[in-house]
Amino acid sequence: MTNDTSTGTVSAPKPAALEEKLEEQAFKLSAWMANQGIFIFTAALILFAAVFIDGFVSLPNITDVFNRAAPIGIVAAGMTFVVISGNYLDLSVVAQVATAGVVLIAVSNETSIPVAMLVAVVIALAYGLVNGVAVGVFKANAVIVTLSTTFIGLGLLRWATGGSIYFGPSDGAIRAFGATRIGPLPLAMILFVVVTLILSFVLTRTTFGFMVRSFGSNREATRLSGVSTPWVVIGAFTVTSLAAMLGGFVLAAFSNTAVSAMSDGYDFRALAAIIVGGTSVFGGRGSVLRTLLGVVFVSVLTNIMVLSGLGFGIQQMAIGLLIVLAVSVDALARKATGA
Amino acid sequence: MNVPDRDAAVGSQPADDRVGGDDHPAPIIEGRNIVKRFGGAVAVDDVSIAVSPGEIHGLLGENGAGKSTLMRVLAGVLAPNEGAVWVEGRKLDPGDTRAALDAGVSLVHQELSLVPEMTVAENILLGSTPSRSGFINTREQKRIAAEALEEIGVSVDLDEPIARLSVALRQFVEIARAIARKPQVLILDEPTATLTPAETTYLLDMLQRLAGRGLAIIYISHRIPEIFAICNRVTVLRDGRHVTTVDIEDTTPEGVVEFMVGRDLQLELETHRVDPDIGEVVLSARGLRAPGVNDIDLDVRAGEIVGLGGLVGAGRTELVRAMIGADIRTAGETTITRDGITKRIASYRSAVAGGVAYIPEERRTDGLALSMPVVDNITLPNRHALSRAHVLQSRKIVDFAKHLAEVVNLRPPEIHRNVGQYSGGNQQKVVLAKWLGREPEVIILDEPTRGVDVGAKAEIHRLIRELADNGAAVLVVSSDLPELLELSDTIHVVRDGRIVGTLLRDQADETSVMALASGQTKVDAP
Ligand SMILES: Nc1ncnc2c1ncn2[C@@H]1O[C@H](COP(=O)(O)OP(=O)(O)OP(=O)(O)O)[C@@H](O)[C@H]1O
Ligand SMILES: [Mg+2]
Repeated sequence: MTNDTSTGTVSAPKPAALEEKLEEQAFKLSAWMANQGIFIFTAALILFAAVFIDGFVSLPNITDVFNRAAPIGIVAAGMTFVVISGNYLDLSVVAQVATAGVVLIAVSNETSIPVAMLVAVVIALAYGLVNGVAVGVFKANAVIVTLSTTFIGLGLLRWATGGSIYFGPSDGAIRAFGATRIGPLPLAMILFVVVTLILSFVLTRTTFGFMVRSFGSNREATRLSGVSTPWVVIGAFTVTSLAAMLGGFVLAAFSNTAVSAMSDGYDFRALAAIIVGGTSVFGGRGSVLRTLLGVVFVSVLTNIMVLSGLGFGIQQMAIGLLIVLAVSVDALARKATGA
Repeated sequence: MNVPDRDAAVGSQPADDRVGGDDHPAPIIEGRNIVKRFGGAVAVDDVSIAVSPGEIHGLLGENGAGKSTLMRVLAGVLAPNEGAVWVEGRKLDPGDTRAALDAGVSLVHQELSLVPEMTVAENILLGSTPSRSGFINTREQKRIAAEALEEIGVSVDLDEPIARLSVALRQFVEIARAIARKPQVLILDEPTATLTPAETTYLLDMLQRLAGRGLAIIYISHRIPEIFAICNRVTVLRDGRHVTTVDIEDTTPEGVVEFMVGRDLQLELETHRVDPDIGEVVLSARGLRAPGVNDIDLDVRAGEIVGLGGLVGAGRTELVRAMIGADIRTAGETTITRDGITKRIASYRSAVAGGVAYIPEERRTDGLALSMPVVDNITLPNRHALSRAHVLQSRKIVDFAKHLAEVVNLRPPEIHRNVGQYSGGNQQKVVLAKWLGREPEVIILDEPTRGVDVGAKAEIHRLIRELADNGAAVLVVSSDLPELLELSDTIHVVRDGRIVGTLLRDQADETSVMALASGQTKVDAP
């Protein structure tokens, strides 16, 4: 509105007015940083990697980054629903991803891929229902509930498989899916983007997604607005479970193998991606598109560490540090917006 | 933008130059040329205020005028963008709550800020818990808490968790907490919004006693009679600006209101006239029991406004919540009748689906999603009407929300702003707007105008009457007696979870309602 300073008149602005303007700019900048910070950081990180890290810009490396990002990204996109609903996270995605991967390969070896997928869907719905009912109906704490279902799920899986590794046929459709790519883009990455777009639409534009967000902001006010809140929670956990299942398929297809330990650390990697993207652990605020950016950020960061020869321990430490940092920024942002 | 030119050097004028005359003793607290902006918006614009020991200084203004913001600056909760706070001639560090407390400035917030799970004693000493080498000194804690409660003359069990106290008692604990810090300046932001007349009178007496002992008090309220009952001087704010500071003898209630709104406001005390051939019973309860609710029979007819009077804690909120299934009931039945068909209210959701709108008592915990924008809050109960095949229709939603923001006179009318950033009274308007859009057939309002300014209050009363005139069955709970009397066609007075008397409009006045509420008489329903 007051952009007439650009007309080149010589009258200097009064000190008070100048100060005000600077202050307004500072405010705008900080608000912009809080909201769009992830965009800059991701771009800066990619730029940094491209310039300083040997081997980052090469077709095999970029394909590898995508291949690793896709399964975790699909899981994180789904889990965004649980986080926004104010239920912190779904730890049991570790068990769900592994179960879906093992079921896909082991069951399809015995029968066929569609049957294996159907079995996996039934298992995913069961996970969504159990987690959702415990948290949504019985009001149990989501962290404890999903930690327990992780134990149950992984225990069952190890008992059923005896810890053995399953291999798909080397000329099967699963391997073909895992190996196909368009340019540097693996099919899995395209699937990830499609899942993100669909879930983003569900979260922002449908009444279900709207209720998830509003429940995350204030449960009681949402209930008193006539929303069936248990169903909202069950829905959020079910979306997460179905995404975890897809993530499991993609992960298994990538190597054409499956084992109960294949998804170690997926819980915290997904959470890191979600909150680095700027979705609030307090619930109510965030988006699936932000999670996509968070996934890119975390994946590129991990890739940089791998290419620099930093061991798994350091990588794990970095993820932990990243979560603490992002959660602290989130808490500060929440205070600043007066919510 | 809308910032006026200001080239005077800020904060350099001598203190006597400020508000008030020469006949006032030296002020103990002064805010000089305070400016506070949130982003681009100016909440407090170059306001100065000075209060002397023993003075009760009223602070008035419409919702969003900047009263709470100015007080939070004085108490060091917010740092001003310009200007400074001086206590006893010393400048306070801006935005340093600790320093303000140490200098003797205590603020009782507009919204309750106690920890529900902690005990009365723990809450009173919150933030200044006495300890010896890291261990809490429980005995000392209780001694200080008991002393503070005694000072305000309230008796309550020190070991009781806050969650079990009535809203009124919580308010008094909140005041005890401020008193426990031995303040020289006590700021109260709408302390009586949750109190009944008797409790209000008690609080006002108490404040006069404290002022008599030399405490400086700043008192915010939308209830003009309270201001005239206890204040020596008043300051009026409008749109963040200082309008006037006058001695109370030099003004009148009408004059003050005119300063507040900037025009001559006609406060029609026009009562609701129910149709002689009154409509059929829409909402009905028989033998209703729930925790705090004892065997209630209650009918509300189409076109009728039924008021529930009584003391805070009498069970009115519990009664209306049990009626519509928002909380569990232990016995009895409630029904809702639409188009001649009577249906049992089986759950809260079926009540809402049946056309019930419920405006809860606690807007921040039960009424609003504070971290979401106004438009989303309004969409929530109306999501079915605003979506097609479960997909929300953005354009329709924006039009809908804009219209409702206008209906309730939300200020500023920015529907994409987070509700948490609105002033208390404007948040209340958003709660109303949420439900008005459904054109409810039954509307239950629990303290509908708590914290709402005089102008907006009259506007909300007009809306409620309009709903009834259009055939809605209206049930109002209010501790604000004039409001209850103005709105209700029939008043049921509740005590200990029972209806102890029913008064028709021409039988009801402040005395008859209060007599029933406090159990002095028993009048039978005609
Ligand atoms: N945290 C915040 N962020 C942005 N704007 C804010 C914030 N807090 C207050 N405001 C704005 O500052 C203005 C003054 O608000 P304030 O709470 O001081 O009003 P008030 O006079 O106390 O009103 P009420 O009578 O309704 O309590 C309002 O326009 C409000 O929307
Ligand atoms: Mg206020």
